[in-house]
Amino acid sequence: MARVFYENVYKRWKETVAVKDFTLEIADKEFLVLVGPSGSGKSTALRLLAGLDSISDGKIYIGDRVINNVAPKDRDIAMVFQTYALYPHMSVHDNVGFGLKLRKMPKDQIHEKVLQAAQVLGIEPLLDRKPGQLSGGQRQRVALARAIVREPKVFLLDEPLSNLDAKLRVQTRAEISKLHQRLGTTFIYVTHDQVEAMTMATQIAVMNFGVIQQVGTPQFLYDHPTNVFVAGFIGSPSMNFFEVTVSGDADQVCLVADSGMSLPVPAKKRRALEKYRDKKIVFGIRPEDIHDPDFVPPDTEVAPLDTAVEVTELMGNEVFLHLTHGENNFLARVDPRTAAQPGSKMELMVGMDNMHAFDPESEQTIFSPEEEEPESPRQPKRSPATGVAEGAWITSRESAAPGSAQPEAEEEGKVELDKLAKEEAVTEQVAKPRGVPKDQADQD
Amino acid sequence: MKRGPYPAGPEDDSRGNLQEEALEEEEVRDEKEGSPEYPFGPRVAGEEGTAARLVRAVGRGPLHAVIIGISILWMVPALGLLVSSFRERQAITRTGWWEAFTTPTEFTIQNYQDVLTGQGMGTAFINSVIITVPATILTVMVAALAAYAFAWMPLPGRNWWFLLVVALMVVPLQLTLIPVLRLFADLGLTGTYWGIWLAHAAYGLPLGVFLLRNFFVALPKDLLESAFLEGASHTTAFFRIVLPLSVPSLAALGIFQFLWVWNDLLIALVYLGGTRDVAPMTVVISNLVSSFGTEWHLLTAAAFVSVILPLTIFFALQRYFVQGLLAGAVKG
Ligand SMILES: Nc1ncnc2c1ncn2[C@@H]1O[C@H](COP(=O)(O)OP(=O)(O)O)[C@@H](O)[C@H]1O
Ligand SMILES: [Mg+2]
Repeated sequence: MARVFYENVYKRWKETVAVKDFTLEIADKEFLVLVGPSGSGKSTALRLLAGLDSISDGKIYIGDRVINNVAPKDRDIAMVFQTYALYPHMSVHDNVGFGLKLRKMPKDQIHEKVLQAAQVLGIEPLLDRKPGQLSGGQRQRVALARAIVREPKVFLLDEPLSNLDAKLRVQTRAEISKLHQRLGTTFIYVTHDQVEAMTMATQIAVMNFGVIQQVGTPQFLYDHPTNVFVAGFIGSPSMNFFEVTVSGDADQVCLVADSGMSLPVPAKKRRALEKYRDKKIVFGIRPEDIHDPDFVPPDTEVAPLDTAVEVTELMGNEVFLHLTHGENNFLARVDPRTAAQPGSKMELMVGMDNMHAFDPESEQTIFSPEEEEPESPRQPKRSPATGVAEGAWITSRESAAPGSAQPEAEEEGKVELDKLAKEEAVTEQVAKPRGVPKDQADQD
Repeated sequence: MKRGPYPAGPEDDSRGNLQEEALEEEEVRDEKEGSPEYPFGPRVAGEEGTAARLVRAVGRGPLHAVIIGISILWMVPALGLLVSSFRERQAITRTGWWEAFTTPTEFTIQNYQDVLTGQGMGTAFINSVIITVPATILTVMVAALAAYAFAWMPLPGRNWWFLLVVALMVVPLQLTLIPVLRLFADLGLTGTYWGIWLAHAAYGLPLGVFLLRNFFVALPKDLLESAFLEGASHTTAFFRIVLPLSVPSLAALGIFQFLWVWNDLLIALVYLGGTRDVAPMTVVISNLVSSFGTEWHLLTAAAFVSVILPLTIFFALQRYFVQGLLAGAVKG
């Protein structure tokens, strides 16, 4: 079916390498979000699949067909551009039907299909207008209608929401998710906005500098970021990082810093930290894992941390505390009933169960999900429309285990099975996730 | 916007044209300022607005004065020419044209009759049209095709070829006369309309390709890419997307080329020869000047016959002309 597979794909522009050793499998019916800062090569990766740019190296498959040399129009894809790219001199009706007309479909049939697509997106009353007479949100829907009318195998969307105002963006996000469920087609969606990635994706691929950093479900990336970049990029507000030294013995491991910080590490995390004893690591903790001492959630293993409160921001259902500890500025997200006052000193509780730790040199995570003991059956945040194992743990090639390198293409089928098997194995060992509150992601 | 994510229906018209919306908002604000029900309206802003508008008007004053002055400078001789062309021969030699209005009875259209029939300006007018219209269409068509290729087709060394075309603009026309004439002689094109059409098209192409290519390049890339994804070939993209969106620049080039060919004397003389039955108006007028150098009543009438078509076309298309020039100027 409409599985998409990038195999060691490169894109070079003279000096710059826009996409580097890009290997990614997107299962049929998946909603894959390609997320990363601007300039990280997301659009390029999408355009390679669309055929708008040529592939420098590697192969891309749609279904079982290598499409490197297939003309864009024969790839059975439809793309929604950031600028919508509506033809300004044609009516909405003709915009939506343009592709069908080029396929020499009879007029009445085109009309029927255009009406259907217009119905799905609720733009029937606009069919006679020109794009210049539409609002941004309406144009966006016309662009979507133009994409779905051709019933492609794969939808490509390049930052389709970035020209909408904040409120419309939230609405349209949900609409696109609905559209995906309704059509049951593979979607590949590019954005720089991690909120869009978290809320819409069944799978996220995080990119930076043209390299895939990590692939997995939103929940998995949130719980188990593979490196400092992903940890900082996924989640809003982003994770706090501290440079600390691992000290202590087998029974009592602490993260210490000159600022007086001394945080005991929970038992299940100690083993991975053993080889870093008396060495520096990057300690990461999400703002929501720093609690007001009066409102610590039950069953949380916490450690106290002296902080100075600089600013408090009431968000309604929570309060953001801008804090300092030693040289570090960081953020906590605490219960709104907190007594914290700006300018005061305060002891906060750090939820060490959810700590992250990274190697200061490679910036890769020190904990791998396999090493943590599963506590209870994994509760998926949403069931993806696919049979792909949740929490697939694919890392970039630099950090990947030797087995994940893809051998020659002729062995592809076998490799595929191997990979799937491995992913399943990983899934079984995945640790219990914490729920990302849905409204958290909506805060932006 | 309250009715769910995909509001569909006429109510949604309120979000129609963004510019209109902005305008409406401004109007609403103005109303608020003026009405006593809104004592806390942004009064200061309003006053600043008025002042700013005044400053702008005053600031533009000199510019307007200069523009009007230049227009008058240009218009007065043209008006004199027009008035003279309707006066009798004796009247022209006796008094200045501005005195014509004191004795209105002396106006006549005899000059035009003489020029059109007796001096062959009628045939010449038709010849001019026969030469100019195909030469213009040919230039615009070929220039548009070439410009599309330079702008949107991935050809090796595309920009170098384009530079070569641009460089052709500085080659003096006179340099090419003899070689082209010899070529035409070999091909049997001298003295034929085909010869002069091709010559005019060739001389007009460098500028035409340059103008149109710069305009085409400025079209949003997404638009064409989207068309290609939907299955458009280059031909489809050219005719369905690029041409309809480039009407202003095509019209601008059309007017340029039309005026140039219409007013051309040199190329017509060289490639067409001076024979009466094919000579355009420029040739006839230059003959008039040399044989009737003092017959101003005929010369003025002939001059007006020759400008009447370009003027009509210019006024009909001037909107596109200005747009086209601006479009080229902003993005180029
Ligand atoms: N046509 C091009 N020519 C040269 N460099 C390009 C071109 N398109 C993109 N790039 C470069 O490739 C990199 C990735 O760009 P892009 O894929 O657009 O990033 P993103 O979509 O993630 O913001 C950037 O460094 C950009 O400058
Ligand atoms: Mg981009």
